[in-house]
Amino acid sequence: MTTAFELQFRPSAALIQVVRRFVSDFYVGVLDDPDAVARVALATHELLENAVKYSMDGTTELSIDVEPGPEGTREIAIRLRNRAATCDIEALRGLFEEMERFPDPCAQYQVAMERGARRRTGSGLGIVRVRAEGEMRMRCSVEGDRVLIEARTQVGPRGQA
Amino acid sequence: MSALELPALEVPDLSVEATCHGEVVELRLSGTADMRVSEALERVLSRVHEEAQRSEVKQVRVDLRALEFMNSSCLKSFVTWIGNARDVSEKHRYSIHFISRSEILWQRRSLHALRCFAVDLISVEC
Repeated sequence: MTTAFELQFRPSAALIQVVRRFVSDFYVGVLDDPDAVARVALATHELLENAVKYSMDGTTELSIDVEPGPEGTREIAIRLRNRAATCDIEALRGLFEEMERFPDPCAQYQVAMERGARRRTGSGLGIVRVRAEGEMRMRCSVEGDRVLIEARTQVGPRGQA
Repeated sequence: MSALELPALEVPDLSVEATCHGEVVELRLSGTADMRVSEALERVLSRVHEEAQRSEVKQVRVDLRALEFMNSSCLKSFVTWIGNARDVSEKHRYSIHFISRSEILWQRRSLHALRCFAVDLISVEC
């Protein structure tokens, strides 16, 4: 049995924190691990901001699935879909290619921080932060201008937080 | 003790206050730091950096205990500030001490990452 919900909306920046609080309450309801709740709430916020910021048509789709895993574990899957400009898709591809070169998410995070310290526009940290601080496994797929970013993490069985 | 005049944030969800106590500047953030305030926060931290050098401050204490959330754009503002603080000459160098709340769980991970970025400069208190 999967617990899931999906949001499709034209969010404003102000609404993103409303969504973060809402999904945090949702995560508290389905997980009994405060650390996991904090990780996936952070990941949701960052991915949503990213999708909103780089959306060409202002529409963003967020879906969250909590799937049962082996031995009472739960698998959380956060998916963000939007339509993005070619230059932004290329930058995203670059980040995901960099992940292949950095099996250690924290090492990539430090490299991104060094780069970010000198950047004038954008942080370049959002996706990398989701991977490192959110401890999420990341996947990206692109079809034309349609982008799907998926972040997944496993949470232990109830009562073992 | 004197209040440090900071650039306006113009966003109701975040407030930042700074006070000078001799060789220490105290910076307090409360609310939510998200994409709407990242540029303003960068200006605030730039102002703090200027003042710290001008007044030969030895430490800036950053109180995050009332900060509910900080996004990656605002984290980048801190990274830029820390990068600038790391680059100053020995004479003008100051340390940065973060005060966090253990119940706000993202702070532990984010501050650990910031500390790794400038381990000689940064300390973290829970």
